[in-house]
Amino acid sequence: MKATEFVELLKNTLEINAGNFSEETNLKDRKEYDSMAVLSITALTDRKFGVKLTGDQFKNVTTVRSLMNLIGTEKFS
Amino acid sequence: MGSKIKKIEYYLPKNVLTNSALEKEYKNWDAEKIERKVGIRERRIAGENETALDMAFKSAQKILADYDKSKIDFLLLCTQSPDYYLPTSACILQEMLGLGTSVGAFDFNLGCSGYVYGLAIANGLICSNIAENILLITSETYSKYIHPLDCGNRTIFGDGATSTIIEKNDQNGIFEFVLGTDGRGYKNLIVPNGGLRNRFKKQDTMDNNTPNDDNLYMNGPEIFNFTIEAVPNLVEKALSKNKTTMADVNFVIFHQANKYMLEYLRDKINIPKEKFYINLVQTGNTVSSTIPIALKQCLDNKMIKIGDKILLVGFGVGYSYGATIIQI
Repeated sequence: MKATEFVELLKNTLEINAGNFSEETNLKDRKEYDSMAVLSITALTDRKFGVKLTGDQFKNVTTVRSLMNLIGTEKFS
Repeated sequence: MGSKIKKIEYYLPKNVLTNSALEKEYKNWDAEKIERKVGIRERRIAGENETALDMAFKSAQKILADYDKSKIDFLLLCTQSPDYYLPTSACILQEMLGLGTSVGAFDFNLGCSGYVYGLAIANGLICSNIAENILLITSETYSKYIHPLDCGNRTIFGDGATSTIIEKNDQNGIFEFVLGTDGRGYKNLIVPNGGLRNRFKKQDTMDNNTPNDDNLYMNGPEIFNFTIEAVPNLVEKALSKNKTTMADVNFVIFHQANKYMLEYLRDKINIPKEKFYINLVQTGNTVSSTIPIALKQCLDNKMIKIGDKILLVGFGVGYSYGATIIQI
C-alpha cells in the first residue's frame, strides 16, 4: 500500500474532517484519537496487513509515521 | 432425551444513563458517534442499594410469575458481583424466592461467557439425572466497579439480570458445546483490588479521585485482538462439533460486547447480516446477560421462531469463551 493511501485511509477511519493530516501529524494531539479510534486502527491493521497491534504498542504511538513504523515500513511503498 | 430452554425473562434497573447525559460530563465525547460506532444509546444502572442479587431476584420473580416454582430443583447464579464472599448468593436467593430446601444452588463467577457455560452446566445436570428443571440466572453490576471519571467503561457497560428455565425434555434442544479458556488475558479485564490477592491494598500513589486499582480496568485493544483471534476458530469448531454449517443455522447470537467488534467479527467469519443479531442500543454490554436478553428480544420480535437452531457464542473476561447450538 502506498504511504499516501494509508494516511488517507487512516484519516477516514478516524473521521477527521478538519485540519491538516499527514505522516507528521501527532495523533495524540487529535481529539478524534480516542479509545474508539484505537479499536478502529487495531481492526484496520488486522484487516489490511494481518498485523495485530497490542495495547502496549499503542502507548508508543505519537505521529502517523510512528504508527506506520509499528505496522512495518516494508508494508508501505 | 435431553434438555431444552423453556422460558427466558430479564430485568433492567430503572435508572437510565443516556449518551446525552454522558456528553455533558466529558468534553470530546460525542453522543452521536458513540451510538453509531459502539451501538449504545443508553444503559441501565442499578440503584445505590440494588445489588446483583436483588436484580437476580427481580428477574426470577418475572419468570416464576406463571411457572410452578415447586418444580425448580436447581438454581444457578452467574455473577461477578456477589453480595458476599460467603455465603453463596444463590443460597440467599433460594430463600428469597421461597424455593424448596431440596434444590441445589451455587454461584459461578464468569462474565461474557457465563450464559453459554450456564447452559453447559444445566445440560450436564439434566443429562446426568441430577436435576430436571433448572433456573439459570445471570446478574451483573459492573457499574459499581467503574470509576465515575472512567468515561470509556461507563459508556460500554450496563447492569441487568436474566432468568432462564431449562427443563429435561424428550426432544433435545441444547446440543454440543465448545469451551475455552486463556488465562494469559486475565489482566485485560479486571478489578485488581478487593479480592484476596490485593484485599486492602492501596499503592502510595493511588488517588481515589481518578480511576485506580479499586476500579474496573479494561484494555480494549488487547481484548479486541483476543476476540478476532479466538472467536472465528471457536465458531468453526462449534459448527463442526455439531456436524452442521453456517448455512444450516437459522440465527446467530454473539455476546453483545460492542457493535464495532460484532460487525468486524461478522464480516471476518462471513456470517450473513440477516441472521446475525446486533442490538445493545438500550442496554449496553450487560456481560453474562447479553445473550439471554438477545434471545428474549428475538423471540418477542419474531426474529426467531420455535424450532429455529441458534448458534450462541460468548467470549470475554478471563479470558473465557464458549459456543453451542440450541433449538428453541
